[in-house]
Amino acid sequence: MIPHAPILAIFLPLFAAFLMPIIGILSRKRGVNHAREWVAIAAVLAELVIVGSMLSEVLSGQIILYKLGNWDPPWGIALVIDGLGLFAALIVSGISALIVGYSFVSMEKDTGLDQYYTLLMLMLAGMMGVVLTGDVFNLYVFFEIMSIAAYALVAFRRNWQSIEAGLKYLIIGSLGTSFIILGVAFLYGLAGSLNIAHLAQNLPFLPATTLILPLGLFVIGLGIKIAMVPLHMWMPDAYQAAPPPVAALFSGATATVGLYAMLRVVYMLFGAFGIGAMLAGLGLVTMVLGALMALVQRDLKRLLAYSSISQIGYVLAGVGLGTTLGIQGGLFHLLNNAIYKTMLFMIAGTVVYRVGTSNMDKLGGLWKNMPVTGALFGVGALAISGVPPLNGFASKWTIYMAGVEAGQGGHWPGYAITVIALITSALTLAYFLKAFSNIFLGQRPGHLADVKESPRSMMFPIMLLGVLCVVFGILPQIGIDLVRPAQEALMNSGGYISAGLGGM
Amino acid sequence: MMHFNYIIAMLLITLGLYCLVLKRNLIKLIIGLAILTDGIHMFLISLGYRMEGIAAIVTDEMTSVPSNFAARAVDPVPQALVLTSIVINVCILALALSLSIYAYRYYGTLELEKIRRFKE
Repeated sequence: MIPHAPILAIFLPLFAAFLMPIIGILSRKRGVNHAREWVAIAAVLAELVIVGSMLSEVLSGQIILYKLGNWDPPWGIALVIDGLGLFAALIVSGISALIVGYSFVSMEKDTGLDQYYTLLMLMLAGMMGVVLTGDVFNLYVFFEIMSIAAYALVAFRRNWQSIEAGLKYLIIGSLGTSFIILGVAFLYGLAGSLNIAHLAQNLPFLPATTLILPLGLFVIGLGIKIAMVPLHMWMPDAYQAAPPPVAALFSGATATVGLYAMLRVVYMLFGAFGIGAMLAGLGLVTMVLGALMALVQRDLKRLLAYSSISQIGYVLAGVGLGTTLGIQGGLFHLLNNAIYKTMLFMIAGTVVYRVGTSNMDKLGGLWKNMPVTGALFGVGALAISGVPPLNGFASKWTIYMAGVEAGQGGHWPGYAITVIALITSALTLAYFLKAFSNIFLGQRPGHLADVKESPRSMMFPIMLLGVLCVVFGILPQIGIDLVRPAQEALMNSGGYISAGLGGM
Repeated sequence: MMHFNYIIAMLLITLGLYCLVLKRNLIKLIIGLAILTDGIHMFLISLGYRMEGIAAIVTDEMTSVPSNFAARAVDPVPQALVLTSIVINVCILALALSLSIYAYRYYGTLELEKIRRFKE
């Protein structure tokens, strides 16, 4: 581990964020091109190294406790990094690195890029804070940092779509975070502490009925953030109106952070494995409704947004089972979803970059112009639909197996999860085939005849993600090995409590 | 009398939620958001308040008789939390109001029924 790695992982993007405007001014004075882009890329790569350096400790089963200002927990604020937190941190930093590289060309036609990179870095700082912190109020603060940057990024292009979507996201999202802070207030009133480990230790001694209100507040607040049906209204607008790299970042990294917070709070803080069944039920509704809504969309980005909702349903259904296999499948699906959903949004971005629209009625026959992009879209579409031998199949199979296992164990709804998940997979395949044929096959409108293949610097991150799709599909054991520390951490709240309180 | 502040806080929270759910004007929604968060702040700060308490600041009194001081001081943690939360909410309100200005430029109105061009 690099010394002070946990706090550096939060400070580095925060520092880079406030550096961006200065670099922008200086580079314009000196006539240097792309200075802030290179600084942003350097920052996210350094971030990846910092997060990666914590890997060896965590993989060996250790839980890193970093005391801020050397105050002992539970009085001071502590950063606690276990398998689950590092798993989410790796996804976030990896996706962010690709997004920043992708933004280089994708955003070149926009103005105000100083602010764009500032907001992107702020959002990264917020996301890293959420996944690394061991303090529930800190979690709220970093969630807000992430959310405010996200609202501004949705509204970044300031046309009517982004303003409308940004306002909608802001009002609904702030309502969600208000519920979270109210839940934090109730927890502080009940247990007199804000440290997650300390709370997890003390909450079991409180009467269960008093915990229902804060738990409900947290579930609603975080449910809004991860766009769980019926709290999903903001999401399609926001994903459609946001600039493509931002939409890719939302679907890959922000959704992961929201789900991480949900798991951390519900399973570890409250120890409420009992409401897993409710989460699984909501997950099923989310999965089916998202897929049905995606079927009727005419806009590629909007279709992908509804498909994101549907995929989040899979993760919820998997982890909601609460069994080892179910949580493994859910977390593996979380990783895979981050990979192929980011990839698909990036492809949508390249299509918008070359053609100028993501309305599928106005597209068609692009296979002749962009064969590589088309092939990669095909890989992503098959992966998300769970076709072997791609990564979506590996994680969905684990979830199916977990459902059957729960069914055999006497919980008949387990079978229901498997059946509904299978049907939804078929729906997913249907709408992605429709999207593929609308964009890449069929009659090509005359004005699209001289559309060129996507720029190489935009293709690179997409290809990287495509390779990951295939690797995790052919060798699912690698993915399971990556996920196992996170699953073990999630089910080992005792270890988290003793490590989070400094071995007390 | 003791729980008066909690009642006010809950009233404010209910009022804010009512405003957010039922009002159909952007500015009123933003006002609702402000009232809701103020209610939450009131609730949070009430948790650490004690009648005729003293500020939890390092003084001679604190160092001389710590137990006496602990029995009289208010809980400083909720105050720190509320301070942080106020700053965050100022950011959100500023962003919301600036976006409303843009929305007014595009739509010429702040009624939510008319600010709805996205197709489902």
